[in-house]
This record gives sequence, structure tokens and C-alpha cells, in this order.
Amino acid sequence: MATNAAAAVPGDGRVGRREMTQARAVRRFKWSVLGVFLALMVGVLGPVLFLQLYFSFHDFSIYLGSWWDAEFAGLEIFEEVVTDPRLGIAIIRSLLFAAGSTIGCFVIGFGLALLMYRPFRGQALFYIVFILPMLTVPIVIAYTGEMLLYQKGPLNDVLSWLSGHDVNVIWLANAKMALTTVMLLEIWNWVPFSFIIMIAGLASLPREPQEAAQVLGASKWRIFLEIQLPLLRPVIILAIVLRFLEAMAEFPKAWSLFQGGPGSATETIPIYLYITTWQYFEVSKGAAMSYVVMMIMIAIVLVAIYFLRREKRALDEMYGVPAEDRAG
Amino acid sequence: MSKLSRRDVVKGGLTVASLSALPVGIPGLAWGATENERIVAAAKGAGGGDLKGMIWSNYYVAMTPAMERFKQATGIGVGSIQDISIFVIPQRAMAEALSRSPEFDFFHVDSNMIPSLASAGLLEPLDGYMKKADFSIDAVGTYGNFMRYKGNTYGVPTDGNVHVQFTRKDLMENPDEQKAFEDKHGKKLAYPVTWEDDQQLMEFFHRPDQDLYGSANLRNRANGVTWWYMYFYSAGGFPFDDDMNPTLDTPAGRYAVETYLNIQKVSHPEAPGWGTPQMIPRITGGKAFACQYWDGIIALNENPKKSKTAGKWHYGLSPGSKFSGKLIHRAISSPLGAILVNRYSKNKEKAAYMAMWWGSLKNSEEIVADRVNTFHDPWHVGHMTSDLVKTAYTPGGIAAIETCLKVASPPIYLTGYLEFQDQLAKNLSEAYVGQKQADRVLKDTEEAWVKIVKRIGKRRLKKELASYKAVFPKVDVPS
Repeated sequence: MATNAAAAVPGDGRVGRREMTQARAVRRFKWSVLGVFLALMVGVLGPVLFLQLYFSFHDFSIYLGSWWDAEFAGLEIFEEVVTDPRLGIAIIRSLLFAAGSTIGCFVIGFGLALLMYRPFRGQALFYIVFILPMLTVPIVIAYTGEMLLYQKGPLNDVLSWLSGHDVNVIWLANAKMALTTVMLLEIWNWVPFSFIIMIAGLASLPREPQEAAQVLGASKWRIFLEIQLPLLRPVIILAIVLRFLEAMAEFPKAWSLFQGGPGSATETIPIYLYITTWQYFEVSKGAAMSYVVMMIMIAIVLVAIYFLRREKRALDEMYGVPAEDRAG
Repeated sequence: MSKLSRRDVVKGGLTVASLSALPVGIPGLAWGATENERIVAAAKGAGGGDLKGMIWSNYYVAMTPAMERFKQATGIGVGSIQDISIFVIPQRAMAEALSRSPEFDFFHVDSNMIPSLASAGLLEPLDGYMKKADFSIDAVGTYGNFMRYKGNTYGVPTDGNVHVQFTRKDLMENPDEQKAFEDKHGKKLAYPVTWEDDQQLMEFFHRPDQDLYGSANLRNRANGVTWWYMYFYSAGGFPFDDDMNPTLDTPAGRYAVETYLNIQKVSHPEAPGWGTPQMIPRITGGKAFACQYWDGIIALNENPKKSKTAGKWHYGLSPGSKFSGKLIHRAISSPLGAILVNRYSKNKEKAAYMAMWWGSLKNSEEIVADRVNTFHDPWHVGHMTSDLVKTAYTPGGIAAIETCLKVASPPIYLTGYLEFQDQLAKNLSEAYVGQKQADRVLKDTEEAWVKIVKRIGKRRLKKELASYKAVFPKVDVPS
């Protein structure tokens, strides 16, 4: 649009009107699409969120009659949630788990993407193989992982063979190891996600600056460090944020393997939330807890949006043109 | 007309009186009808139709032939089931209670959930239907009380899951082992009577270098707590006083924690992460010396096609304790699979008769004796003398089951069972893996339990204490 505007003759009223009409049409289209989503959100999620809000402010016990008869509790339940040390530890555990698995997924996914983004013979086969773990149901990954991870299981055998020493890691029963075990399975499950995002990012990088650097004699490492990496920053942030949010919500693997144990080593936010709501049947506390968790997630998203905007501004300045116009 | 004598009048009166004591309300039923005939006759009055149940297929498969016979006889069958694990059904059933849904006609669930589900309004009392069919739960000892809560019967058992003592007979009867044990301990090698005997034996036979571990008791977070109750109850403990204050942090409680943690010395290092799927192969594979385990494993152990240790086990009474000054044995029974009927269902009467049909001696005998689907275990008085059941469990196995059933005890038989139990389970598990000091286990659990009691309601729970206590056995040392 900016390009069109630059090409227009100043003071040409017809061009101005056309632009305005176009802008109006775009706005109308945006709102018609967004409107459907908003209606769906309000219609489907709205009642759920409202009911959850109701439970958060009302002391409902499943054993004491109907939920609509529950007593108003004000902020008492929220107070109980935010002062619950068990939730605090679960949040720390979830953050550690999400950070570890996100870094693992990203490093391996990016590495594979760097190896794969230039076309080569048999690329499609590798592509399929690398994506397979993401297509596997998490619960299957958990049970397969369990069979591999026994103390006398295949993984320790392979590690023993590779290292030449008897490796006897207790992956599934050691409280200090359990979260790492789920983390490793999560990484294996979700490396393809980072891989796909990064390979798409690498493939869409403009070739001109890279070719120019090559002509000027820059090494591959320098091109990667000084051209590819800065240009990829928004994609990297997106890949990390999306994976981090997803990892914060990991439930099936941790639950099917450990149910929060050994001890409470794998009691992350989703596990504790499930236990509170569906094992302790503390529906009101579970509802309030999920609101608190939602606030944490929103805060993470807002931080991510801030960084993404900053990156976009930096790229816009570098190119001298906004991203939407570059795409046009 | 002949004159009636006084004797004739008395005789006539006695006949009327005795007839009135016989079951009524089953039209067209001949006197002396069998249990199954009575259930069929009562069920016919409810009309035919297909039921929908929430039940794990591992249990349901063995119940299917009986269900089909019932359908032929009455038109009442099971049209569809939601096939989910018995460990998940409590949560799902509670969701049904929350929504007051008529979707399911019956639930096959751990009977220890009865107080919680009844409090949530989900369960239909069965006494009226049982009266119509002249049906009673003829269980060993006080086992029938596991189905009762606040004076009502809410379930019919299908599975008498009780912990039995498993000890390796081949090792115990080995003369070299006997001599070595006597040399070391100055006493004869004998099957354990107390937890201390059990620990001593397990330590003696604990040989990790030969892949033989002293104990195969579970110590994961989900199941390990089950063992703790046995130690606690047999030491004379009860978890609440009459005012519903927790009484865990007591000498009996501390003794139970110590006994619970002692097993670590003789357990596999992966035990904190192992459940039944991991432990059973070790038991049947001969990699464990002893354990207290669910009795269903007897049928598996003694099946030479599935077990390397067939004929090598001695089955007995779960050990007890003299901690309280007298010997007390308590064998835990949890989860005890029972059919519970949905109060909101339109087919609740039909579901009640279906439950009774599965619980009749003739049908339950066939269900518990199934040698392939060994999820249901004996519970009925008649199972103890049944040749069919004895073939599956061995005469020695059945004798042990009967003895253990006589001292069968529940976990927390109160509204809030899962809440109470998981707090204790979490703290025990944390202590077992070194995340918590042993002396904090009971203190922390009591703190959490006080909150649960407050949330559910002290007055309400106090009223339930009688039902909880009624489930306990009346004998300490079964004959």
C-alpha cells in the first residue's frame, strides 16, 4: 500500500478515494472473519469461562447439593490458591520442565533444519522420518518410552555399549531423574515442531544478503551468525514461545508414566490441577487455580508479543519497509 | 363340618406365620426356587432392555456369558459399555454425579467410592430390589459391609480383592536355606506371623546379585499407600477420633511409617515407579521372595502357561502386629470391584437385577474362576468350597483367601476417600524417595486432612464413622 501511495500522483482525489474504499473493504473482510471467531469464542468458550468464574467465587463442594446453591466466597478461594505452596512448587516445576524441553526441542530442531533446508537427494524421506514423532500420540510415546527406560531396558544397554561402562540410570523411579525423563520424551515428541518452523524460516530468508556476503568472502559460519541468525530472530522467538506454552500444558506423558510421583517429582501445574479437581473434587479451587494459571500464561504471551514486535520493528528498520509491504 | 381342635388352630397359625416369612412379591415363583430363579422372576417384572455401563473390559469379559444368559431369561442385557480402567472410573462417575446424568445405568467401581458417590447423590440404594428378589450378599466375614453405607446397600461385589501373603515355598523348604537361617538367627525358618518376621525373612532372602529381591510389595505413589493401612490397622490404629480429628501421628501411625519405609532395604530400586504391570511379571517370574498382593495373582501364579513359579508359592494370612499388645491381623481390600447403580438412570431397577445376577453364587463362581480373565477374585461364602474356584486358585490359595477375607479392612471408607488417600500417598511416597523426612509424613498428612474434614463437613463425616467402623472385621486372628 505504501508503494502504491508513493506511486500515486499527489493531490489525485480518485486515488485517495480508491485507497479509502480498498481500506474499508479490507477492514470489513477482517472483521467478518474475526467476527466469526469472536462469536465462536463467546458462544463456546464464554459459558465455560463464566462457569469457571462462578466456581472460583463460590465455595462449591460436590458432596453438598447443587452447584447453583454454592455459597459466595468472594476472593477466599483465590487467596487459598495463591498461598498454596504446592501450587508454587508445581509452577516452578512446570517452568523448569517447559524451559528445558523447549531448549532441547529448539536446539535439535534448528540443527536438523540447518542440515535439511537446502534441497538434496532423498530429502523427502528424511523429512518424513523427522516429523514422525510429532504424529505419534503422546500416550504411545509414554508407554514406548517406559519399555525403553527400565533400568535393565534397551536405552541403558545402548548407553552401556556406547560408553563401555555399565550404565544403570534409574529413569522411571528416581525422584531426581523423573522430570528429566518426561523432558526427554517431550523433546523427542516435539523436535519436529521446532524443525518445521525453523526449516520454513530458513527457506524464506532473502538470498541476496547471503549471496552478497559469500561474494565478499564471508565464511559459512559468519553468514550464519551475522545474516541468517538476525533475520531469523522473529521466527526463533515464535518457535520458542509456542513450544514453551505447549510444554507448560504437558499432561499425558507425565500422568501416564508417573501420576505426579515418584514422591511429587513430576507434579507440574496440569497434574496438580487434575489432582485437585478430579481426585480431590475441589472444583472451586481447581477453577480458581486455572484462572491463576491462565493469568501466568497470558503474562508469558504478552512478554512474547513485546519481543516479537521489537523484532519486527528492527527488521522493518533494516529493510526500510514494513513486513506486510515486503510480503506484498 | 368337623370341629377344629386347639392344636389345629395353633398348627394353622404357625403355618401362616412361617409362610409370611417367605419371600413375597415374586409372582408365579414356586417355593424353594433357586437364587437365580428368584432374580429372574423379579427382573421379569422390570421389563426388558439394554443397559449401558461404565466398566473396564478386563473385568467385563468374564461377566459376559452370565449377562447373555440373563438376557435370554429376562430380556435385560448390556447393550454397550464405556471401557475405561477401574482406576479412572471414580473420576468419571463423579463427573456423572456432577451433571446428574442418566447416561449410564451402572458403574463398576472400587466400592470404597460408595460414601463419596452416595454423598454426591449418584447412587441408588439396592435394598428394595434385593428384597423383591430375596437376594442377599453372602460374603465371607463382614465383607458384605463393604457395600453398605449409612444403613443402605449400594453395591453388589464382583471382585473380592484382598491382600494375601505370598511366600516362596521352594526357598522356605530348602534344607540348606533352613540351616543357614537357623545359624544366622538362632530360630527355625517359619512363615511370617508379624511384620517383623516378614522383614527378617525378606532381608534373609534378598539377593539382588541373583535378581531375587526380598519384597515385591508396591511402593509407587498410586498403590503403595495400600500397604500402609495394613501396618497401621494391625498396630491398633484408626485414622480419626470420634470428633473426626485425624489420629495418624500416633505410635501406631509412626510404627506403620517405619514398617512401610523399611521395605526399601529389600525392594528393587525401581519399585517407587512400579505398579502392578511391572511387578506381576517379577512375581510370576520368580524374582521376588515374598509380598502381600491381591489374591487374583494366585490364579495367575498357578497357571503354568503364564507363570514360572507355579507350585512354588505358599499362600497365607497377611502378617499382623503385636504392637498394640495383642496380635492383630488386617488384610487390606482395595480396590474392591462392585456394581453400583445410577440413581438418575431410567433403567435403575433393571441394572439392580443385573448386578444381583452377577453376584449370585452360581454366576459369580463362574466369573471368579475364569482362568484367563483373572481380575475377579473370590468373595462369596460359596466360593470357598467351590471345586471350580479351588481349581483356579488351588485349595491352599482358597484357604488363604478365606482367612484374609475374615480380617479384610478398607482404606478410608468415608466421603472424600480419594482426597484423604492421595494426601497420605503423596507424603509416604515423598518419604520413600527421600523428598521428605519420615517424621513429617504424618504431621503433613494430618494438616491436609484437617482441611479436607473442614471442607466436606465435620458433622457429616462424624455421621459416617459408624459405616466405616462397621466394615472392619470382628476378629483379630482368624481361624
